[in-house]
Amino acid sequence: MTPAQLATTSDTLTWLAVLSYVVAATLFGLDFAYRARWLGAAGLAVTVAGLGANLGAAVTRGLAVHRVPWGNMYEFSIIVGIVTVTGFLVWVARRPEIRPLGVFVLLPAVLAMALGGLVFRVPAGPLVPALNSRWIVIHVAAAITGSSVLCLAAVFSILYLVKDRMERRQRPPAPPLVAGAARTADRVEVDQAVARHGLIWSRMPSAETLDQLAYRTTAFGFPIWTFAIIAGAIWAQAAWGRYWGWDPKETWSFISWTVFAAYLHARATAGWRGRRAAWLSILGLATLLFNFYAVNTVIVGLHSYGGM
Amino acid sequence: MAVELRPPAARPDRPLRPGLAETLRQAWREYRSMRTALVLLVVLAAASILGSLFPQEGLSPQRVDQYFADHPALAPVLERLGLFDVFGSPWYMAIYLALLGALVACLVPRTRALVRVLRSRPPRGGDLARYRSRAGFHTPAAPEEAMAAARRVLRRSRYRLADRDGQLAGEKGYLREAASMLFHLSLLVLLVGLAYGKGYGYRGQAAIVEGETWANARVGYDSFSPGRFFGPDRLAPFQLRLDDFSNSFYANDTPREFASQLTAMDLDGRTLQAQRVAPNRPMTVDGVRIFQSDYGYVPVVRVTDAKGRELLAPQEVLTLRDPASEVSNGAVKVTRASPQVGLQVVLFTGLRTGADCPGGADFCNDPRLVRPVLVVLAYQGDLRADRAQSVFTLDQSRLRPLGDRPLLLVPGRSAKLANGMEVSFTGLKQYSVLTLARDPGVPVVAVAAALLLLGLVPSLYVTRRRVWVRALPAGPDGTRVELAGLALQGKDAFEAELARLAEQVQRGTLDPRDRRRATE
Repeated sequence: MTPAQLATTSDTLTWLAVLSYVVAATLFGLDFAYRARWLGAAGLAVTVAGLGANLGAAVTRGLAVHRVPWGNMYEFSIIVGIVTVTGFLVWVARRPEIRPLGVFVLLPAVLAMALGGLVFRVPAGPLVPALNSRWIVIHVAAAITGSSVLCLAAVFSILYLVKDRMERRQRPPAPPLVAGAARTADRVEVDQAVARHGLIWSRMPSAETLDQLAYRTTAFGFPIWTFAIIAGAIWAQAAWGRYWGWDPKETWSFISWTVFAAYLHARATAGWRGRRAAWLSILGLATLLFNFYAVNTVIVGLHSYGGM
Repeated sequence: MAVELRPPAARPDRPLRPGLAETLRQAWREYRSMRTALVLLVVLAAASILGSLFPQEGLSPQRVDQYFADHPALAPVLERLGLFDVFGSPWYMAIYLALLGALVACLVPRTRALVRVLRSRPPRGGDLARYRSRAGFHTPAAPEEAMAAARRVLRRSRYRLADRDGQLAGEKGYLREAASMLFHLSLLVLLVGLAYGKGYGYRGQAAIVEGETWANARVGYDSFSPGRFFGPDRLAPFQLRLDDFSNSFYANDTPREFASQLTAMDLDGRTLQAQRVAPNRPMTVDGVRIFQSDYGYVPVVRVTDAKGRELLAPQEVLTLRDPASEVSNGAVKVTRASPQVGLQVVLFTGLRTGADCPGGADFCNDPRLVRPVLVVLAYQGDLRADRAQSVFTLDQSRLRPLGDRPLLLVPGRSAKLANGMEVSFTGLKQYSVLTLARDPGVPVVAVAAALLLLGLVPSLYVTRRRVWVRALPAGPDGTRVELAGLALQGKDAFEAELARLAEQVQRGTLDPRDRRRATE
């Protein structure tokens, strides 16, 4: 295939992946609501197919441009999809009970990819000289992986907060109803809570599980993010003659690093673990999103390569 | 930030009104607590945001000037608050120094605690029934044999062991705390390296025209920012010659590469080294790193009066290149003419017209140097040469246009202005903008960053845990073996580990070879 054909194939595969993820998210959502095993299994199959298309999109794009396929925001968005979905699949393999959460993982991935495809799409092309370095392979790959994993962790933190709220409302657990017995006040309260929020939320994994998922995912993403910053500093030293210059992108990656470091500390601090820590993780997510979307497009800096 | 394995010892009853010493001690405890570190981390993040919202002096001074022009009332206030130099401001420094102070304050007791733990033996377990993680089994082996098997299994799993009250106590996972301390210490070292490099290093930019030799002296730099402790006498004695500059473009007109062929020489002109310097491919001379930053064009212009007398000997005109279009702008100031004449020159690297241009534009530029054309707009009057002004533009306040049409020149050609003066475009060269930097802190920072990463992973993944084993005779020829354990982190994984250990010990007690060894 010619580079142009490869680029077109890549674009098609990207949208195919987005479509698959939407379908899979719907299936997971239905599984979440109705707890039908086959829905979840089907969702998983479609997710894997979508991941295949997503990988294909990245590979064909790379072949079309003769370099790593993460040179601009559009390509970055494609890789974000791969990392997030892979991260989710790894968790599902280890803890099958979290499968229905796929809807909350796939939708952000879809959002990121669709935004990339609609707003930041740039034709397949070579890199500007400043980006022509083998460090782009290492630094950007680590940055995508680290930020995607940390975003995934923050999604778990959000779910934890929701579930934790539910659990606190429903405590103390109601005693089982004996036929003919009068409903206790507790039971009425629980029923009201279920009626208000629907049974769906009560089917989520326990708050403790979600909190652990969030922590472990952060513990995995944080060293990768640290490495991404260090690799970026090494590259900056080679390209610009200084390893750190408080360029907006550097500043914001440092802010994210600080916030997630605070999260890790909070998890070991009485009075902070639990909900407060979860809010730190969500704050971290906000800084990551700001760094990717706002810093690349609005704030002027050396990292303004989004192809905008 | 220390994680205490033991419950805190009961403190003696404090007096009702704490004295000064007690208040200070309380404050010190609070300062080195994790909560303080946590708050300071969040404050540091918030303060850093300010640095990305306002233009920074060290990063983009032009944008700071622009901010002053746009907000004349607000800008001086912000400047006083240090918002245009957030990362160098006293309050930012105060935040990170407070954080580092808290870090040191908590590292000291942690180091002491770790040393104490490493010196002492794993503690006694007491009543094993009160632990949440337990495992047990019955074996035909004798109690001594079972204990020997447990010892072997735990040693193989690299537990530190001790005999305590007839129980076997094992502990492992000290690496977590040690790695965490390595991580935090590396942060300190990194900051020291950063400060050292900033203080004793420098950074500057210089432009060299093709074929010219540039000496590494303060006057040769267009911009120069030395560290606080950098003396100008520390500039390494060398010269640079730009032998050739080349740039190329992709088919879609985006830049492909630009590079300077540089020769470094000592002050006597002896060649030290020669290298092609391109983005991401710097050169190091005498500890100074030389980077390719930018480039531009230098048309050579000669001006004569109506009688052919030379008013301006062939002059290299430094122009400013617009990276988007590759069109460059410059100014020629003919002060010897009277009235004075100023030429605004616009250099096209490849002037295209009509059909070759996208979007129906009348003319456009090919970024490649294929058909250079110099467009000359002439003015006459007072150049105001006594006032400081940009070399790229004319101060037009006392100038009026000379003639109604611009001159278009290709290299080697000349044309007459309306007042009879002749402008010749005698040649075209390129110049290269190089960044020169020296940062003696880099090795320190690099090692610190490596150690930081090395410490980070075990500090998150290694878990500290203890196991106790006891074997009690049960019945005439059997033994009841009990294991209990405690994990500070990773409690789920520990449950599985304890079960696995119990299984291994059980298998060990049944292995005849092991039994023989145990009875010997």
